[in-house]
Amino acid sequence: MSGLWEVLTEHLPEFSSGFFVTFRLVAISFVIAMVVGTLVAAMRVAPVRWLNVVGGVYVEFFRNIPLLVLLIIAFAGLRRAGVPINGWVAGIGSLGLYTASYIAEALRSGVFAVGRGQIDAALSLGLSYPRTLRRIVLPQAFRTVIPALASLIIAMIKNSAIVGASIVALPDLLKESRQVQAETFQTNEVFFWAAVGYLVLTLTATLAFRYFESRFQIRR
Amino acid sequence: MQDGHLVQLDSVRKSFGDNLVLDDIDLSIDRGAAIVVAGPSGSGKSTMLRCINGLESIESGTIRFDGRPVKSSGREIYGIRAQIGMVFQQFNLFPHMTVLQNITLAPLEVGDAGREPSERRARDLLERVGIPEKAGDYPADLSGGQQQRVAIARALAVEPKLMLFDEPTSALDPEMIREVLDVMRDLAREGMTMIVVTHEMGFAREVCDRIVFIDEGQIVEQGTPDEFFNHTQSERAKEFVDKIIHH
Ligand SMILES: Nc1ncnc2c1ncn2[C@@H]1O[C@H](COP(=O)(O)OP(=O)(O)O)[C@@H](O)[C@H]1O
Ligand SMILES: [Mg+2]
Repeated sequence: MSGLWEVLTEHLPEFSSGFFVTFRLVAISFVIAMVVGTLVAAMRVAPVRWLNVVGGVYVEFFRNIPLLVLLIIAFAGLRRAGVPINGWVAGIGSLGLYTASYIAEALRSGVFAVGRGQIDAALSLGLSYPRTLRRIVLPQAFRTVIPALASLIIAMIKNSAIVGASIVALPDLLKESRQVQAETFQTNEVFFWAAVGYLVLTLTATLAFRYFESRFQIRR
Repeated sequence: MQDGHLVQLDSVRKSFGDNLVLDDIDLSIDRGAAIVVAGPSGSGKSTMLRCINGLESIESGTIRFDGRPVKSSGREIYGIRAQIGMVFQQFNLFPHMTVLQNITLAPLEVGDAGREPSERRARDLLERVGIPEKAGDYPADLSGGQQQRVAIARALAVEPKLMLFDEPTSALDPEMIREVLDVMRDLAREGMTMIVVTHEMGFAREVCDRIVFIDEGQIVEQGTPDEFFNHTQSERAKEFVDKIIHH
């Protein structure tokens, strides 16, 4: 039996490789979630009926299916259907698209918080509707929903563990920790360090969002 | 197209649900004219302005701007709106942009002007509205009167042929009304065509060429300030003038 500290130092390669897999997983999923979430939010508020419908279907699909089920569909389902999908694509795709549905909803509420007068002003200057959305509405919506986005991104980081636990089985922080646990049987020590790893990511995200909030805050 | 009126409304009707808001409006505005639109609250003044630049659609009738029909949908409308400046009661400055960014937004996004000339022009406009030192500030740092002057500069940045003002001083503290009206008076003197919805009858008397009185979606009466104030025709306009002058 070795102590808490020894567990970490002796298994540092596993822990750090798991940590960086999780880091990559959440970083890329974050980018996908923000981009897709923004596009879907834009579709939902566009003055075009069929875009609203497509955006709505997207949100209801991805928001109402458990992430674990999405992962199984993305990985096993698509493979069985003959689509050669690997664990990274399935994991990032599922986590990113799932989170995007929540981000789209948060942004949509932010869009409604932008006054009608802002849109009138932009349109009256000759800006087209898409430009008005891009330059006036979405930038303000983002700023209003930064706190909500922070919660969603923290949830996404924690949800990333499901990717390692699922059949996708990416060698992420959770998967690697279980591996170490199986070798050492030091459950408490191992998962203490796993928790620390996740905390590093979530707290970094929290601080980053707090910075954005103060940096981009709109005073009215 | 230099002949004809700059703005022409023919039999314009508009309702919201079963609320008839504009009821058969005919109105024509010459180039260089300054028109004041007056009337009780809810009579359709804002709606009329918003129809002229296509922010609202009309049900029947036609609106022409510079000879071109105004339709609230379709690509045409963007080009028309870029030639019509609008100033709102609530200023509606973009709070996430500096004063300078507010003013250069349209020239950069809509026109093909470069950044350098757009910024130079924005600074000239700020000079003209009397607040050259505020270029780098955010709207929240300005007083109401200053915000409204920035809004005027923003609307002028696209070099419009027509300016629409929708109660530009109604949200201002009394001591700031003057500074905004002064800017508008200068504009009118320089020959800008403008339609101004306002209750500032002093401004109307002194600056405008014609007063249009609207009630319940209809133009009840129109005439020069002298005709309107001293030889009021209709009962409704008389009542309105009495109320607003002896208040
Ligand atoms: N977007 C809208 N939807 C429904 N009703 C509206 C809308 N805008 C204005 N109205 C109604 O139209 C009428 C005229 O409004 P408005 O043009 O704002 O009058 P005014 O500017 O003269 O006060 C009012 O009865 C108002 O309630
Ligand atoms: Mg009004």
